[in-house]
Amino acid sequence: MEEQIKEWPEPFSTTGDKTSTFDNLRDQVNAWLKEGKVDIFLGYKMVQGHPLPHCFTKENPDETDELIVGKARYSLEKMAANIAAQRPEIKIGLLVRDCNQRALNVLYVWNQLNPDQVETININCCPSRLKEHGDCSYLEPQPSGSYKKQVGIDNNMDVEVAEEFSQEERFHRWMYEFEKCIKCYGCRNICPVCFCQECSMEHNDLIATGTVPPEVPIFHLVRAVHMAGRCIDCGLCEDACPVDIPLRLLYRKVNQVVSDMFDYKTGMRADQSPFNILGDEVTLEPKPI
Amino acid sequence: MDYKIIPSICSYCGCGCGVLFQVLDGRLTGTLPMKTHPVNQGKLCIKGWNLHEHVISDKRLTSPMVKKDGQLQEASWDEAIRITADRLQAIIKDHGPDSVGVLVSAKITNEENYLAQKFARAVVGTNNVDHCARL
Repeated sequence: MEEQIKEWPEPFSTTGDKTSTFDNLRDQVNAWLKEGKVDIFLGYKMVQGHPLPHCFTKENPDETDELIVGKARYSLEKMAANIAAQRPEIKIGLLVRDCNQRALNVLYVWNQLNPDQVETININCCPSRLKEHGDCSYLEPQPSGSYKKQVGIDNNMDVEVAEEFSQEERFHRWMYEFEKCIKCYGCRNICPVCFCQECSMEHNDLIATGTVPPEVPIFHLVRAVHMAGRCIDCGLCEDACPVDIPLRLLYRKVNQVVSDMFDYKTGMRADQSPFNILGDEVTLEPKPI
Repeated sequence: MDYKIIPSICSYCGCGCGVLFQVLDGRLTGTLPMKTHPVNQGKLCIKGWNLHEHVISDKRLTSPMVKKDGQLQEASWDEAIRITADRLQAIIKDHGPDSVGVLVSAKITNEENYLAQKFARAVVGTNNVDHCARL
């Protein structure tokens, strides 16, 4: 049990040590709020011993002395989108790691946030397949247990390795994972790029309601299909899943298809998505297979 | 513009998962799991994820209701407690204390649950006490 509880090393000095780069960050946010470059700034603050997301405001700019980077990653960009939906005129600043930035790019593409109203400060991010060194180590999956490795899918697997199982074995292994689902909708709720007003996963005609586990595998596959060109591989869904379904691996596969078909790298830039047909002209053609 | 993240504990069952409430301009808009909480470690069940919904629900009762002339009508706490006490006393007198049962829930605190069973055993005089977590 002890191994499961993650250690939370002292994030950063919370005293006023002016020599640390961390204080530069605080000074910058403080200046932004005072100058009016941003109206609010979404960062982190220690509250009751927990690094929690916090909204710093221009009304109380000196609170930035308590700004920390925080080891835990919350979807600050989703909070920004929620705020912007109510108050579009507000200028929002936020701390971004690489994954936050990719999510922001997707939210810009899909008109959920206006890039002119958003200012970001980049901070070092978590170690991942994309980046070896980082400050936050919270998003890499825990090592899988032996039973899960034997009958299910190891969350740390590469797409290529997961595809080496025979079709029948692969199906049974994925079904083992999906059948654990307690239908908490945590994967959707926490997802920074899930913003639809109506969700297929709650639609009575598309997926049978009232049973646990939900209708598998369709419940998870519907979400997987919708993640094509949306998922920015931040790992929040897998982190929020109470039963460790390897969602990140599943969506990585879906996005690999998008990359192969359209040469579109989701979240890398805030440009036209092949799935967003509301643009003036078609800018991306399917590549010949 | 006022946006707050308020740490709290889920009130749906006895596990005690850490949650964060999102409050935008004084209105509760969402619930998030607390990543660093030792109990739930960033995860929640479907009830926890929807904690905010019952708080802002239109169907939520905001005052005690008493049935008068066959219809539920708003009443004061004093009136509601008076009527409840009178009816309980009458039922116990006519049919004995075991005609009363007390059902409690994880949505109230441990201490309130203790008081409820004390009320059942010491005031009403019955062992008919049960809890939703045992159903």
